[in-house]
Amino acid sequence: MIVHTLASIVYLAQSSPSEGFSAIAFTNQLLNGLGIVGILLLTGLGLAITFGVMRIINLAHGEFIMLGAYTTFVLQSVFKMDLLLTIPFSFLFTALIGAIVERTIIRRLYGRPLETLLATWGLSIVIQGVVKLIFTAQLKYVRAPSYIRGNWTLFQAGDQVVQISIYRLFIIFMALLLLALTGYLLYRTALGREVRAVTQNRDMAKCLGVNTNLVDMATFAYGCGLAGIAGTVISSLKSVAPPMGQDYLVDAWMTVVTGGVDKLIGVLAGAFLIGQSNAAIAYFLNDPTARVIVLAAVIVLIRYRPEGLFTIQKRS
Amino acid sequence: MTEVIGRIRQATNVPKRLVAISAILLLILCIFPFVAGDFQTNLMAKLLLFGILAVSLDLVWGFTGILSFAHGVFFTLGGYAMAYYLKLNLSASANTYGVALPDFMVWNGLKELPWFIAPLQIFPIAAIAMVALPAGFAYIIGWFIFRSKVSGVYITIITLAISSALTTFFVSQQAFTGGTNGITDVSKLSFFGIVVPQLGLYYIILGFTTLVLAGSWWLTQSNFGLILRSVKENEQRISYLGYDVASFKIFVWTLSAGIAGIAGGLFVPLNRFISPVYLAVAFGTQIVIWVAVGGRGTLFGPVIAAILLGQLQNSVDRITQDWQLIVGIILLTVVLFLPNGLMSLLPKKFRFTEINRMPIPRGSTTAGFVRVSLLDWYSPLVRLIQSVRGKR
Repeated sequence: MIVHTLASIVYLAQSSPSEGFSAIAFTNQLLNGLGIVGILLLTGLGLAITFGVMRIINLAHGEFIMLGAYTTFVLQSVFKMDLLLTIPFSFLFTALIGAIVERTIIRRLYGRPLETLLATWGLSIVIQGVVKLIFTAQLKYVRAPSYIRGNWTLFQAGDQVVQISIYRLFIIFMALLLLALTGYLLYRTALGREVRAVTQNRDMAKCLGVNTNLVDMATFAYGCGLAGIAGTVISSLKSVAPPMGQDYLVDAWMTVVTGGVDKLIGVLAGAFLIGQSNAAIAYFLNDPTARVIVLAAVIVLIRYRPEGLFTIQKRS
Repeated sequence: MTEVIGRIRQATNVPKRLVAISAILLLILCIFPFVAGDFQTNLMAKLLLFGILAVSLDLVWGFTGILSFAHGVFFTLGGYAMAYYLKLNLSASANTYGVALPDFMVWNGLKELPWFIAPLQIFPIAAIAMVALPAGFAYIIGWFIFRSKVSGVYITIITLAISSALTTFFVSQQAFTGGTNGITDVSKLSFFGIVVPQLGLYYIILGFTTLVLAGSWWLTQSNFGLILRSVKENEQRISYLGYDVASFKIFVWTLSAGIAGIAGGLFVPLNRFISPVYLAVAFGTQIVIWVAVGGRGTLFGPVIAAILLGQLQNSVDRITQDWQLIVGIILLTVVLFLPNGLMSLLPKKFRFTEINRMPIPRGSTTAGFVRVSLLDWYSPLVRLIQSVRGKR
């Protein structure tokens, strides 16, 4: 395997179209990377809630993203709704499904992380199957509204252009907005205080009169709702199809694990690190190789710091 | 070398009931090809291989408590080693372009065989690579992750990442791996000039299944297996007793990867192709589903589950396309209502993989009831030989 890897890296280095380093192209690539950061942040945020706060290994996270995308598709094709207007609906719909799932499945498996993992995998297959039954496996397309399409030129000199697509800016803006909102909910409201109390000491919180059942349900539903919003925002980037969630699952997990789940800011850092290093490496080599290298780096990182980069080391 | 304070009934007392049932099942599978058609025989051989794969995962998950999504990777690595051998052994005229170079390499503009693939033309090397490649890879990973504080869930996430990364890697290296299509149109299995017929392949697979099942049963019933079970139950306590937990984990992890690799190698001549589909997370979870449905730590359960689910899929596929939905429902039902899998439905006397512990005599320390070193996993063999020679 190592021999294979080395051989292919040498091979790639020789064969990659290297016309030398171009600052303009590299800047463009980094701006593209910003779009990846936005997607990672959006998809990772929901996981940071369900995994970070509740310690649930949710392998059906990708399917909640997919459900959000389908909500947008339905609303857009039936009511001709603007993409931005569908965001609250997809949040509510996926949160509702999330609440039902928590009530019926997750609740039975608290304290058994590996069982939860299996159950959510089963759930993800079921959701995919049901969506496929209703909408068939055909690819669906969602249109982004006209005011967030096109490119924004930052710098132009002759035929050399530095530009960023407005949709990418929109994605990262949405992601940051949701991050701020989640931070506010978690650290500045009464409900957020209860959530943190349950995370830190469930029994004590219960003794003090916190309705832990309700808190669990609300937290899981909120995490799923965030995934739904991510699905809506992503839906117009690529086609909408039942297996689309799978593409985001592993990357979202890597984001969450890299940053650590102790602080919400870890997710931002994780998304930024993975997204930008992916873009930078892809500029010098190519996309698949960048992905392989970044994943390998994350594996090494988990090995040495399983609690993530941005977690203060605790003595246990 | 061994000091057993509490009495553990050892594998030397092979239960007669187990032997009888296995013999009957083996007999049925032996005459199966003559009763069922070619299609069913092929399907059964494939399902037996999936069963072996599930057993290899059961060794690490059911007995040691390491949930891995990467066993599809080990399977596929073994598969690719065999696929290169079979592809390179096509005669030049059988190849699409009439040259000795495999077709996918010609498409991608390779002029000659890469040096790291060339040795696989020789059967012994390919056969060794089929085991050594996945086992070596697993050893490196195992050494890397088990000698650290990484635990449970994070190991599972690492295996997810490995599976995902290797899929991307194999798809991107078209010239060497055939990309998304993988290696197709391989020759029939042949070595040293003997071409193995399809029926022969079935019996090779059946023999290997028997070997793996018997070997795993013996291993898990030995003192070594007892340690594995204790690692699953309470890793910290077993390390306080002085065992090097990591080396036990690495050993069983590498062993199971080797078994998975052989299964992959046998899968290629049967399936006639191998592709990154088997590397992907979806196939990795398929294996997990077999083990979960069959029952963790039961060895026979996963094989039965793989065969049952495979046959079910075969019959359902003709009626409906929504097989995956059914699998999902089965998995959910099993996890929620039958956490120990299908095997737990059997009466207790037919669950052979549980260790029957005899009462520990009073006065002995229960904490360290078995003291074994890693080298000791052959001591049941010694005892078996002794019992055969009547020197117990």
